[in-house]
This record gives sequence, structure tokens and C-alpha cells, in this order.
Amino acid sequence: MAHQAHSYHMVDPSPWPIFGAAAALLTTSGLTMWFHYNAPYLLIMGLLSTALVMFQWWRDIVRESTFQGHHTPTVQKGLRYGMVLFITSEAFFFLGFFWAFFHSSLAPTPELGGQWPPVGIKPLNPMDVPLLNTAILLASGVTVTWAHHSIMEANRKQAIQALTLTVLLGFYFTALQAMEYYEAPFSIADSVYGSTFFVATGFHGLHVIIGSTFLFVCLLRLIKYHFTPKHHFGFEAAAWYWHFVDVVWLFLYMTIYWWGS
Amino acid sequence: QGLKPLVPTESPAPIFVTSKPSHLPAAEAFLGKNKVPDLQKVFQRSDGLPVHLKRGVPDRLLYRTTMALTIGGTIYCLVALYIASQPKNK
Repeated sequence: MAHQAHSYHMVDPSPWPIFGAAAALLTTSGLTMWFHYNAPYLLIMGLLSTALVMFQWWRDIVRESTFQGHHTPTVQKGLRYGMVLFITSEAFFFLGFFWAFFHSSLAPTPELGGQWPPVGIKPLNPMDVPLLNTAILLASGVTVTWAHHSIMEANRKQAIQALTLTVLLGFYFTALQAMEYYEAPFSIADSVYGSTFFVATGFHGLHVIIGSTFLFVCLLRLIKYHFTPKHHFGFEAAAWYWHFVDVVWLFLYMTIYWWGS
Repeated sequence: QGLKPLVPTESPAPIFVTSKPSHLPAAEAFLGKNKVPDLQKVFQRSDGLPVHLKRGVPDRLLYRTTMALTIGGTIYCLVALYIASQPKNK
């Protein structure tokens, strides 16, 4: 059998890209059927197939790297570029919502009473739960860095402790934010204040959930001895993503919660 | 498909607490023992199977379920869109 004369990874034929595309079709058309005809079946099929594709595709990447050894330094470099570019695209995504917030809040219209927060809106106290949430995410940034150093120093017990703490802090943030959403005196329908607040913080919350899940998968892999002190890019990617989520929160807190109150 | 050593040059070292010399035998590692070398053998078998089916039955089950859901769903989607595009008869 001929061996390759390069350090790149030529992957096995895989069904996940096209199944993933089909899952996206089902999810989007499912949303339409649910909104307009109150029929949730297509949407459920879409979400289910999306989850199945994600699980199997990433499972295969773990197989190709940890079990088959295909992730050479060259391949890892490409993955690093990929993760950086992805996070950059997410930064631009959030930039749009910050733009919308400043557009409406820097020059409040007469319909809002010419002020920000608009007349009748009682904003959340930034020194209350939002400040706690800030502390939680900052602390989780410290614990994930602690976990990284423990991995690099081959300290298994501390790495597991630190990463577990990070995941728990992420869940704690999500739980507190969910409670805040429930208890908030204003809703998404309350003028452009509600729109900008819930869309920006809502997408952030979704990213916290995604980041926590990514870190949790890394925790499972850490326990199963997948990472070595020199090679643990999956963990690094999760840590980068987590720091990004933390930074977005800091901007949200300073602009929407604090300046905007 | 080169770069597939049977005994990988970068075999993951069992990560134990290394702060002080330990007299614990390897099998008593913290939170389960290292099964990665065994899994490496399984996934590097020369059986011609692609990575998404390499484990046999459980992989096939999951693959077929996903295929049924996506292909069946796509057909359902096309039917639903066809029906939805019919003019409403008032």
C-alpha cells in the first residue's frame, strides 16, 4: 500500500457533511412549519439530526486524531488557523448587535421619550446579579488557565479538578442568567430596549452553553487520557472559545448593563 | 494513508499526579485506567472500514438512524413545502 509523502490528513469518505446540510434544511423549514402552521415535527427532526451529525462528526475527529494519529503538527496548525478564524467571525457577529444597541441608545427617539433607558423601562441593577455573573466568568477564566497549566505539567488530578470547576462555573452563570430572564421587569417586546437587551444577551447565553458543552467534552476526554502534555489542541480550542465568551460578556456588562442603565 | 504507526511515536503517557514519587501500581490510576492504547489498536486495524464505521455494529446503527432521519426528513420537507405552496381555497 502506498504511503503519503506529505504531512496533511486526507480524510476517509464521510457522510456527515451532506447529512449536516440536510439537517440544516430540516431545521430551517421546520421553523417555518412551526411558526406558520403550528407543526413542530419537521423542526424536531431537524434538531435531532443536527445533534446526531454533530456527535458523530466530532467523534470521528477524536478517532482520527487520538486513535489513528493523523493530527501531525501541520494538521494542528491548520486547525489553529480554523479556530481563530471561526472565533473572529463570531466576534463580527456580536459586533452587529452592539452596533444596533449603540444606534438606538446614543440618539434615543421621541417615541422612547428622548432618553435611554426609555420611559417606563426599569433596567436591571448592574451591581446585583450581573456583577456576580461577571465575577463568575472571570473566575472561570482563571480556572481554565489553571487546568491548561496542569495538563502541560502532566498533573492529572489538578487538571481534572480545575476543568470541573470551570464547567461548574459556566453552568452557574447560565442558571443565574435564566433566573434573571424570568424575573426581569421588561420583556423582549418592550421597545428597542428589550430587543437589543435580550437578543445580545440571549446570543451570548447561547455561546456560554456551547462553550460549557465544549469544555465538558474536554473534561470527559481528559479523564479518558486523550490529552498529552504536548498535544491537547481540543482543550486549547475550548479554552480560546471560553475566553472569547468571557470578553463578550465584559463588553455586554460595560455597555448594555452599566452604561445603558 | 501513511503516518499510521501501529505503536504511535507519540503514545499518550498516563497522566498521574507526579508531584511526589508514587508507589501506586499503574492500574490504580485516578478515575479509571488508560484505555487509549487499546483503542488505538482497534482503530488502526487494516480492515478497509472508514473511520465512521470502524467500530462495527454501534457505528452502523447510529449511521443508519441518522440517514433515515435526514433522508426521510428531506422527503417530508419537500412534501410539506409542496402542500404549503398550494393556494388557499377560500
